[in-house]
Amino acid sequence: MPSDPTKLQKTKDIGIPSIAMCVARVPNSGRLIFGSSDFKLHEIDVFAEKPQPTPFGGEGHQSYVTGVVLPAPNVAVSGSYDGQLIWWDVEKREPTRKVKAHELWIRRLVISPDGKTIASVADDMQCKLWNAETGEMLRQFSDHKPITPHDFPSMLHAVAFSPDGKFLATGDKVGHVAIWEATSGSKVATVEAPGLYTWDPRQRRHSIGGIRALAFSPDSKWIAVGGIGQIGNIDHLDAPARIEIFDWQKGERKHELNNDKFKALVEDLVFDPSGKWLLSSGGAGDGFVTFTDVETGKPIHQDKLPMHVHQLALNESYDTVFAVGHHKIAVCEFKATEPPAASEPAKP
Amino acid sequence: MTLSRRGFLNAAALGTAGTFASDMTRLDLLRQTSWADEVKKQGKRVILLWLAGGASQFETFDPKPGRPTGGPYRAIPTSATGVHISELLPKMAARIQQTTAIIRSLNTKNADHGGGATIMETGRIKDPGIEYPDLGAICAKELGRLDSAVPDYVSMYTSTEGRRKGTSGFLGSRYAPMFLSESMQPENIRRLESISDIDHQDRLALRDLLAKKFTQNRHSDSLGSHTQAYQRVRGLMASEKLFDIEQESTEIRAKYGPTQFAQQCLIARRLVEAGVPFVKVARAWWDSHGENFETHRELCADLDHSMSVLLDDLRDRGLLEHTLILTFGEFGRTPNINASLGRDHFAAAWSATLSGCGVRGGACFGKTDEDGHKVADGEVGAGDLFATIFTALGIDPNKEYHVGARPVPLSDFGAKPIKDVLA
Repeated sequence: MPSDPTKLQKTKDIGIPSIAMCVARVPNSGRLIFGSSDFKLHEIDVFAEKPQPTPFGGEGHQSYVTGVVLPAPNVAVSGSYDGQLIWWDVEKREPTRKVKAHELWIRRLVISPDGKTIASVADDMQCKLWNAETGEMLRQFSDHKPITPHDFPSMLHAVAFSPDGKFLATGDKVGHVAIWEATSGSKVATVEAPGLYTWDPRQRRHSIGGIRALAFSPDSKWIAVGGIGQIGNIDHLDAPARIEIFDWQKGERKHELNNDKFKALVEDLVFDPSGKWLLSSGGAGDGFVTFTDVETGKPIHQDKLPMHVHQLALNESYDTVFAVGHHKIAVCEFKATEPPAASEPAKP
Repeated sequence: MTLSRRGFLNAAALGTAGTFASDMTRLDLLRQTSWADEVKKQGKRVILLWLAGGASQFETFDPKPGRPTGGPYRAIPTSATGVHISELLPKMAARIQQTTAIIRSLNTKNADHGGGATIMETGRIKDPGIEYPDLGAICAKELGRLDSAVPDYVSMYTSTEGRRKGTSGFLGSRYAPMFLSESMQPENIRRLESISDIDHQDRLALRDLLAKKFTQNRHSDSLGSHTQAYQRVRGLMASEKLFDIEQESTEIRAKYGPTQFAQQCLIARRLVEAGVPFVKVARAWWDSHGENFETHRELCADLDHSMSVLLDDLRDRGLLEHTLILTFGEFGRTPNINASLGRDHFAAAWSATLSGCGVRGGACFGKTDEDGHKVADGEVGAGDLFATIFTALGIDPNKEYHVGARPVPLSDFGAKPIKDVLA
């Protein structure tokens, strides 16, 4: 049954004690494994009658858990502000391997479509590729300056694999995106989205924003970049959620989308496998989801969510979204309505 | 009567101008007590690093790692045994034992920007019946010298958000700050090219004569203060180069680095080295209602580097033992992390630091509870902090000014110095 973003409805709204920073979904289930502000991984079955998160045990992370991927059945890998990657036995909920992966805070993990390679990005401005099975580091690369043009530390928040697994994109605080050939680590293109970075030289003299989300289109030719637009008062996330879409091979910006309904930070982006829509989500005080028509750049449907969303997971048929964030997990369905049964032919 | 401008110039050259050029180390015979003279002779100085907007104690000097309120950053050990601070301040962590005392138990009760700033500027809550002087003005009066050739209260606040000039209150304009807001160089202190130096001196002398005639048979503190301020004009004009960091070696400028705050810290060092008793450098704006952790990643890097280099530079020049460096703002930030991953205003349990002159390095006074919601031990207010500052400088915190017949102690009624952080 195809999806229909206009049918979006929230079906679950589950309170949790901590802030969920990242999520991965066990295939073909309602089991979510999420990383959290309590330094732990948790598992929750959102389709259970009374969903309750269960923490993983053992010697885990020492800071916020900001990335989690599931490279194989019964295996989870998490990354944290503590700079570590930890491999976990999901059934036992215990760590099986720890790797000191980065010098500074890990911001996100993603896994290649074939499940063999994990990419991590951190504030040491490095992207590192890891053998998902052995934990061996395969290569590292960076095209991101550690200091912003205004002499402050930069940050590397976002990373994404292309659906064909050939490319990898990394995006930093000042809006610089580098696109890499995943197997060789060669840089193949860059695009710039400075509109996502606000530097206030006068009133408050610091910056806010940056690229927080990246996603390749299903054919890998376009890349969407998410964050927040130019902010007047940088004490708050007080600007439109902003997405830019590039044909990165041609170096062309296809769309520049400022959300006129939600002032918020875009934390995650997901393309529909057919390439028709782009789902964005994030938040400020509250959360939001927006489905955007990729061709026209116009919103198809958008709605509030009950919390600032930090990451999304979708089901196999791309008609249910699992959102995790500020003390809540929400499940929303956007299934197309069954076509009405054929009526009897009218009698003459 | 015909006034001779040249005559006034001669008088100025023999009298006032000579006084302006006096050496800062000369005995100040105009002060009331020999004890006060002694304080001045010691050449104590203050640099206040004002963390405008309210820095988070969790991301600076009172981390709570692993607690729900603690945020993502780790606590790191400092050079003082058992004292940990945020990993965002690694350079300061290496200097705590040698230089810095931490107070973790401030409860200043007002989490409004304006109200909180007034309390932390003056050491007491606002009194509608009296305009209190701020810390800078009090230090200017207590540590400055009437014959000083340099300004005795310089305040730098170049960001516009929350900008406050400071006030000398009932002490009068003599102790008002030289306020730098638009650039790091004082504006309007250069002599106009259309006026010759001799003409300028003539005008001063004329103004002085007229002022004296006007104040004859009139007794007013504010008139006196106004006149004193004018009498210092020539000295202040000559101080322009103190604000020019190009006068420093390439090596020193490189150590401080490129940020505006660091460069203002370098100016502060130049000023205290030249004898300016109080310099305030405001670093705005820490008001991180959204993205608290990213904001502190930026601003703490700036604070950590600038403060560390400043302390090292003062130490290398033999100035640290005479210079008190303070860090605080109007309040701290909430334990609760809001939906924008921000922290809001919070004055019930937050931190300040004192470094250098009169301070027991490595001291850590007071405790907050495990989540930082309230003070668990050693609660102190702004008055206590001010009494501690005055004591560190050798100023009697119980000394009284008189506003009319009303006695006003330097630090608020009932305030006591925190002995644990004093050398």
